[in-house]
Amino acid sequence: MPIIVNLDIMLTKRNMKSKELAEIIGITTANMSILKSGKAKAVRFSTLEAICKALDCQPGDILEFIED
Amino acid sequence: MKDNANILAFITWGILLSSASILISDINQFDFDQFKEFQNWAKTANKSNTWFTSQNAIQWSYYAISAGLFFWRGYLIYGFSYFLSILKEIEKGNYFSHKNIKYFKKIGNIFIWYTVNVLVLRFLLALTNNSTFNFFNELKAEFTFLIPAGLAFYILGDIFKRAKETEEENKLTI
Repeated sequence: MPIIVNLDIMLTKRNMKSKELAEIIGITTANMSILKSGKAKAVRFSTLEAICKALDCQPGDILEFIED
Repeated sequence: MKDNANILAFITWGILLSSASILISDINQFDFDQFKEFQNWAKTANKSNTWFTSQNAIQWSYYAISAGLFFWRGYLIYGFSYFLSILKEIEKGNYFSHKNIKYFKKIGNIFIWYTVNVLVLRFLLALTNNSTFNFFNELKAEFTFLIPAGLAFYILGDIFKRAKETEEENKLTI
């Protein structure tokens, strides 16, 4: 998939664990790992909004387009 | 749906058992008739004739075709048993599982195969009995139900396949 999820980088920058983020935004750790591994087919605007709020960042900081 | 699955399984078991018992009683009946016919034939048969006389061949082909018809009826009952497997999957909560897709297609296959083969066998039976065989009358009787039902199950299988893809996509939407 040409859309890359850079959640790991943002988590390191904010010094936050993925489990903590999952708890804040209200998703399961299993879903968080799907999101981090890039297996997710889609991200809801509400989830993206919650992630941006929790990490104090822009959607572009989390998602990146790299052509195959 | 899960609650209804038990009721539906109960009804399916009832249908399966009753149709199996009807089939067994028909086979039993056929055996008795066959025995009587053999007795009659033995009384009137010309002993000097070879075993493979034309009369014998017709008689045997009649039995073979009748056995074939019983086999296909059994196969149809076997097809019905797939409903139980589908209901079991539903009970587990796996509505759009690969198994259900496979079972729907198998039921569709069995319904269509049964119809086509029984039609061919009835045509052959009509030939051996020298009776008239009206293709459209045969189609009108029970086949009008089974061919569309078979196709419907095929289509249902495809719909379930698409539903499974959608379900997977939905699961992977965070």
